[in-house]
Amino acid sequence: MNNKFFKAVGNYFKEFGTAIVKGDIFVKLSLLFMGAGYFARKQIINGIIMMLLEVVFAVMCVGYAAPNLAKFGTLGTVQFEQVFDPLTLTSTVNDYDNSFQILLNSIIALFLIVVFILVYISNVKTVYRLQMDQKEGRHINTFKEDIRALFNEKFHITLMTLPCIGIILMNILPILVLIAVAFTNYDQQHMPPSALFTWVGLRNFKNLFTNSATITFGYSFTKVLVWTLEWAVLATFTTYILGILLAKFINDKKTKWPKFWRTLFIIAIAVPQFVTLLLVRNFFGDTGIVNTICANIGVTDFLKNIGLVSKSLSYIPFLTSPGWAKFMIVMINIWVGVPYQMLIATGVLMNIPEDQIESARIDGASSFQIFRKITMPYMLFVTGPALITDFVKNINNFNVIYLLTQDVFVTSNQALANSNAKEVDLLVTWLFRLTNEYYNYKMASVIGICVFVICAAFTLVTFTRTIKGDKEDEFR
Amino acid sequence: MKKKLLASLLTVSMVAAMLTGCGNAAVAEETPAETTETTDEAEAPAEDTAAAETTDASDAVANLIAATTDTVSLKVWASEEDQALTTDLLEKFKEAYPDVTFDIQLGSESESTAKDTILADVEASADVFAFADDQINELVAAGALQEVSATYTYDVANANVAGSVEAATVDGKLYAYPMTADNGYFMFYDSSVFTEEDTQSLEKMIEVADAAGKKIAMDVSNGWYIYSFFQGAGLELTLNDDGVTNTCTWNGAGGTDVAQSILDLFSTGVLVDMADEDQATAIAEGTVVACVNGTWRAETAQDAWGENYAATKLPTFNVAGEPKQMSSYSGYKLIGVSPYSKNVGWAMLLAEFLTNEDSQAARFEARGLGPANIAVAESDAVKSNPAISALAAQAAYATPQRVGGNFWSPAETLGQILASGNPDGTDLQTLLDTTVDGITAPVQ
Repeated sequence: MNNKFFKAVGNYFKEFGTAIVKGDIFVKLSLLFMGAGYFARKQIINGIIMMLLEVVFAVMCVGYAAPNLAKFGTLGTVQFEQVFDPLTLTSTVNDYDNSFQILLNSIIALFLIVVFILVYISNVKTVYRLQMDQKEGRHINTFKEDIRALFNEKFHITLMTLPCIGIILMNILPILVLIAVAFTNYDQQHMPPSALFTWVGLRNFKNLFTNSATITFGYSFTKVLVWTLEWAVLATFTTYILGILLAKFINDKKTKWPKFWRTLFIIAIAVPQFVTLLLVRNFFGDTGIVNTICANIGVTDFLKNIGLVSKSLSYIPFLTSPGWAKFMIVMINIWVGVPYQMLIATGVLMNIPEDQIESARIDGASSFQIFRKITMPYMLFVTGPALITDFVKNINNFNVIYLLTQDVFVTSNQALANSNAKEVDLLVTWLFRLTNEYYNYKMASVIGICVFVICAAFTLVTFTRTIKGDKEDEFR
Repeated sequence: MKKKLLASLLTVSMVAAMLTGCGNAAVAEETPAETTETTDEAEAPAEDTAAAETTDASDAVANLIAATTDTVSLKVWASEEDQALTTDLLEKFKEAYPDVTFDIQLGSESESTAKDTILADVEASADVFAFADDQINELVAAGALQEVSATYTYDVANANVAGSVEAATVDGKLYAYPMTADNGYFMFYDSSVFTEEDTQSLEKMIEVADAAGKKIAMDVSNGWYIYSFFQGAGLELTLNDDGVTNTCTWNGAGGTDVAQSILDLFSTGVLVDMADEDQATAIAEGTVVACVNGTWRAETAQDAWGENYAATKLPTFNVAGEPKQMSSYSGYKLIGVSPYSKNVGWAMLLAEFLTNEDSQAARFEARGLGPANIAVAESDAVKSNPAISALAAQAAYATPQRVGGNFWSPAETLGQILASGNPDGTDLQTLLDTTVDGITAPVQ
């Protein structure tokens, strides 16, 4: 795969080189005036568009890219200053630098420059191709024909344009900014516009893996990471297996009114998740209704006697002690998540080839054997990719954890507290609180990059594993 | 760039307005002379008499009115509960300046979360906003507050109680206008259970409540409340000059005694660690007969205890056998002006208007919020309110909240550990050392 990639890159530049060397005067002129090659082949409108593009790019470079990129190395040096005149009741503000805007604009500018270079290279190649076309007497498209082509044989390009622009604006650029912030000291003491922030190299990454009296990020990171992975595994597999079982029970021929049961569980999906979660948080509060009931019917005392609840408590700490909270979170997640899995499983179960099950039954296989040898492998094969996405989604399952424990759970682990983490935090909820409550953008970025790396690595490995081989043929 | 352009445009338009006089010939003729005169005075800052200041102020306002030709757009943030009252006050403000056209947008933003919203994008902040005084340091550090370098319609620093002015001051500079003085905490109690004398000492209260089979609630697993023990015992927690990091002596001499006292108090099972919302339920159910809380719970307590509803200052508690008065955070709500406002002058005048004597009196009448204004606070109506007078009694032992962000999480955990009886049996000194490490940690 790597070889292919490098070969492709090599070819890309080789073609560019050939175009320059073998191109005629107009192709060579295109290096300076991007429209030249088109004018020579009578593609006037294409030529004008290219010339315009070149001019716009030049203006962008001078007016936008240059002033921002000039400050990119320092991220600004002029501090915000404001003078208020008590006599006129007006204030004057100096021409200050906003580090964040410089960072953002520089990244956009760099991005535009890269895009322009790509367009520039492909322009030269296209112009060279036009030259060849003319030499060999092939038809050269008019502008109208070019446009029409975009709706016919090149329709895929038209279709892909909008989503690509969306991805670039909504995902790629923010991610680039996020990555850049991880190498700065952007935090509460350095908040633009009133203060400047600047590059600090790898210091934040070092802090994430350091553990001392004052910096406990290293300790907290390991703790939180371990729980994040535990949670992702638990949450994914419990809902997955229970969802399949539930679907099987409902699909069973002996079950009466399957549609009624299915609807009942789908209602659980219809209620917005955060409403359910906030309600459940109140139910399971220390003075919540569940605790009142448990105390009245003696469950609390029973749990105290068998040592599951500390003797000094008069309630069950459902969401307030680490062990209980983790248990409850997984439980509540099952309740919230199973209906979805049930829906998916129902669809798949209905599509299992009936003849396979029939022949197995004739051979004398028990229901459990059929489930284990036919149903499960089939399910795993069909829902494998969905399972992986679920796992990744659970690594970032913000809702369940945050809504159930925010304002309720207080950690009694001092080392965690010193870096604003809690036992029940996932990397993503920790990240959220660091940004939202402590404005620690730089550490949040570092954690964000870690989450991204973990998710990306996991997805790549598992996807290539599940799709590799001839598994697809097994079920044909 | 944009800012500079804007500033110069403003200046130009103001000069133009002065020269043409906008139809107000009298003001236009007077202003040039006045301005030079006042500038001279400003250059030689010294013992200005109060009278001179007033004329200056009213001249400045007159100038501003004369210079304002366009519609003045202002964005105001007040809490959800304050919307109706603020709408009325805004109408009155418009009436007070009939020559100016205003376009004032009122938005809803809780005083307790104003900082979070503003710090997310300082430039998008409202021109005038209400916030709780604990946020002032971070707001000033982020450059989100316009310094109140001059006042025009009333003397902010002398009209309000000293504590509130102190709470609105950072590094000796006034940054906000005090609006209410009711955001601290004190002791609510059911007078059918406790006599007034009982409430002098926490140990005594526990004894009485225990005999009655009831509980006393305090949210000690919260930095805001656990502070009252340590500060009461004379240990210190202060904010450093950088406005972000803390200095803390809770692990110093006597620290372990305080921690031991908290452990002892909560191990009785009578004093319980309970969050604010849970306290509301417990008061209504009748299991809790006294609680350390603030004016926002007054209604709950009054509903539950009826005629027996009472409030007083916090009690004393024993540290190594000696009674110490519990301290507290005094809390004020302030009104701030954004330095990024396009109409800073009008925003400041509006902030003054929203916090002047009449407005504070209206606020107390409409919402029962304790006024920061001395004259209003002296009125009989205010004095007869139990919660507000309890707060006033506690004020002598209260300090304004000056603390950096790293305080909360470690302090919360310390409270949690002590209230649950130190389950791991950690040595108290180690416990406090770790807490202080966290509290004083530099911002990483």
